[in-house]
Amino acid sequence: MSESTTDKIKYGLLKTIDISGFKVFDPVVRLLFGEEPTKQAVDIVKYLVTPIVFVLLCMALWTVIAPRHKTKSGEVPTPTEVWAAAVVNDTLNEREDEKETDFALSGEGREDAIMEVSAALIIKEAESVELKSDLLQIEKDVKAEITGKIAPLQEAYDRLSQKNRMIKAERETNIHSLAEGVASKKAASADLLQAIRDDKAATEAGRDAEKLIKEEINEVRNNPPKALKNAQLASNAVANEAGHLSKRLDYLKTGNRSLKVTEAEDKTVAALQKLEDASTPAAVLAAAKLVVGGEETAERIAEQRYPRTATIWFQVKRSLFTVFIGFIMAAVIAIPVGIMCGLNKVVMACLTPIISIFKPVSPVVWLLIFQIVVGAFFPDPENHPLFTFFASLPLVGGLGINPALVFSACTVAICAVWPALVNTALGVSSIDQDHMNVARVLRLSLWSRLFKIIIPSSLPLVFAGLRISLGVGWMVLIAAEALSSSDGLGKFVWDEYQNGSSHSFANIIFACFVVGIIGFFLDRIMILLQRSVSFDDGAAVV
Amino acid sequence: MNENRYVEIANLTKAYPNPFGQDIAVVKDFNLILRKGEIVSVIGHSGCGKSTVLTMLAGLNPITSGSLIVDGREVAGPGPDRAVVFQSPCLLPWMTSFENVMLGINQVYSHGTKVERKQICEYYLSIVGLADSMHKYPREMSGGMQQRVGIARAIALKPRMLLLDEPFGRLDSLTRMDLQDVILEILDRERVTTMLITHDVDEAIYMSDRVCMMTNGPEATVGQVLKIPFARPRVRSEVLDHAHYYDFRACLLSFLQKQEHRKAAHVASFSKKLLDAPVEFVEDTVKEPAKEPVGV
Repeated sequence: MSESTTDKIKYGLLKTIDISGFKVFDPVVRLLFGEEPTKQAVDIVKYLVTPIVFVLLCMALWTVIAPRHKTKSGEVPTPTEVWAAAVVNDTLNEREDEKETDFALSGEGREDAIMEVSAALIIKEAESVELKSDLLQIEKDVKAEITGKIAPLQEAYDRLSQKNRMIKAERETNIHSLAEGVASKKAASADLLQAIRDDKAATEAGRDAEKLIKEEINEVRNNPPKALKNAQLASNAVANEAGHLSKRLDYLKTGNRSLKVTEAEDKTVAALQKLEDASTPAAVLAAAKLVVGGEETAERIAEQRYPRTATIWFQVKRSLFTVFIGFIMAAVIAIPVGIMCGLNKVVMACLTPIISIFKPVSPVVWLLIFQIVVGAFFPDPENHPLFTFFASLPLVGGLGINPALVFSACTVAICAVWPALVNTALGVSSIDQDHMNVARVLRLSLWSRLFKIIIPSSLPLVFAGLRISLGVGWMVLIAAEALSSSDGLGKFVWDEYQNGSSHSFANIIFACFVVGIIGFFLDRIMILLQRSVSFDDGAAVV
Repeated sequence: MNENRYVEIANLTKAYPNPFGQDIAVVKDFNLILRKGEIVSVIGHSGCGKSTVLTMLAGLNPITSGSLIVDGREVAGPGPDRAVVFQSPCLLPWMTSFENVMLGINQVYSHGTKVERKQICEYYLSIVGLADSMHKYPREMSGGMQQRVGIARAIALKPRMLLLDEPFGRLDSLTRMDLQDVILEILDRERVTTMLITHDVDEAIYMSDRVCMMTNGPEATVGQVLKIPFARPRVRSEVLDHAHYYDFRACLLSFLQKQEHRKAAHVASFSKKLLDAPVEFVEDTVKEPAKEPVGV
């Protein structure tokens, strides 16, 4: 039976989809290859369209409900606002990238960049000026419009309040005369009391009426036409862009690394000249020291990195790196210990109390403990060999690895170690007795028993455990970063919460999606790994 | 070494404690002697302790009392000199059939070169008919093919003794006949002393030189031993057409039926004198041969 090429492609695709855990797209592929179109269409509607519609419904619900809930940090952002926040964050990151390149540029590249940026800046500034004048015009118009709208209201208000005051004065005279009457026993005190009560009620009613008009006025004043808001936004955006360009220009013209290096080198040359000219030993020594110092400075500057502002993508990279380190630490501890637990009941008995007591401990407690413990190892983190080593590495050097990252990673490790350990132990201890019998009959040595039978047989469960571990680790990490102000997504969320600008809430919800989506992909990767090591073709638990 | 007493099982007893702490003997005073190169079937009702005897001989199950001697050496624990083929193929699912067989070969021929070992492995896989499926994983093979790998793995160890624990129990009848022939062919060539556990009367007659009938447990023991005098190598059709075939069959069946009837009663252990006794027909021999399909 020979398979056609299309069939091969089709089944290859189907298998890839199955392995990567996106089985919902299975009918789509089958439909594309024309297999039972009606059945596939039904499946697509059932398992693909319906969920999408459901998600869209949820988004609609969110859009409707969010603005109705006023919090002290403003309205709950709608999906559009969250998307806008995402775009803003991405732009910020792009700009940091640009500034970083500008910082490192030298020679002709720098000259070209200066030309380019200057040209762009002139255009943007012109645009900005234009927009600003537009904005002023619009502001004027709007002001006139608002004043026009408010004037009749204000008039009505003034009239009402004057009328109220007059009526009030009348009532008060009346009360006074009644009081005199009561004093001279000509009137009943009950009438006076009633009059006072009526007066209070009438004053209240008058005030309410005034308030209504006042509110109307405020409404008009606080809700300028959309055009104004749009014009403000547009003007702000362009001004922002122009500001960024002028900052870039700064980095190219004055803050540039190559410039600083040249400056330091010039100083060294001058010092060398001084060394030549010096005649007294003291002067020679001083000049020589200057030369050496100048050389060192030039070298140091040449290695300087651009001091990046932590944008969200930087935080994502850092968090991923931290969780990776923590996860590796957890795996390195959990797998050997788990194997020993599974193989030896005494080891298991020894470790059971430790596992059962430390497993439920909150990550927050671990974080504090590690903060203290790890801190003690690095009294001078700036010059610690570990961190200088990390800083010199190519890819992760820019992540700013510091003790905070180390104890965040330790916290991740200690929280992620338990699921992996317990599952490994389970996998090893539940190994098929028949397979062990094979090992016994063949008299396999401990090593071949371990590597040919025990580990392969327990791998699926080991990976199931590691998958849970990674999920736990990612959740713990975000909390740890938020609490410890160690750079990462958690800190991003915490900073936004603390800073409380108008975008903060949207940024937090954006970060929430970023965390979720990354967590989802981490899980998928682990499923892939799990599937690739499982010998029984077991379906992944999604 | 005495070739006539190559494997000696003497007063073999296995007892397990019941919930009240009393020892209940599953197998008691089991006596059997195998000549070198002989094939002996052990037949009996399921649960009578056939497999217990075999696992004790394999060393996988400690004995309670008695003695087990293979080639002049007392059995102490499992080892590659007593290869076992289990009812389920017991292949390691993360290894190809080649790697599965190689695992044992590496243990036994550790002095050989890599090429030699590879050749040995290929040879044994080809004699069980798997020359084309050497690099398949167990999940890609049928139950019969998997069992062939199990047989190749056992034979490749060049064992003193081959222990077959209902190796065809989970296979369909056609595959079963194929595999019976595969094993007989190998055994005719290699002359390995073999113990075959089965509950299939026809299989026992076709495969073995002697059939050891076990009484029902508890305290199961050797009931009777029936000698099957057919010449080797055997041809299935000739065996089936043999004048005495149905007599042997009837003898075995009647013993098994009697065990069924006497289930409750305690069956006295038979003495050693029954060993190698000439064929004795029990009184209540079934006159008419059973009308079930032969060879199944």
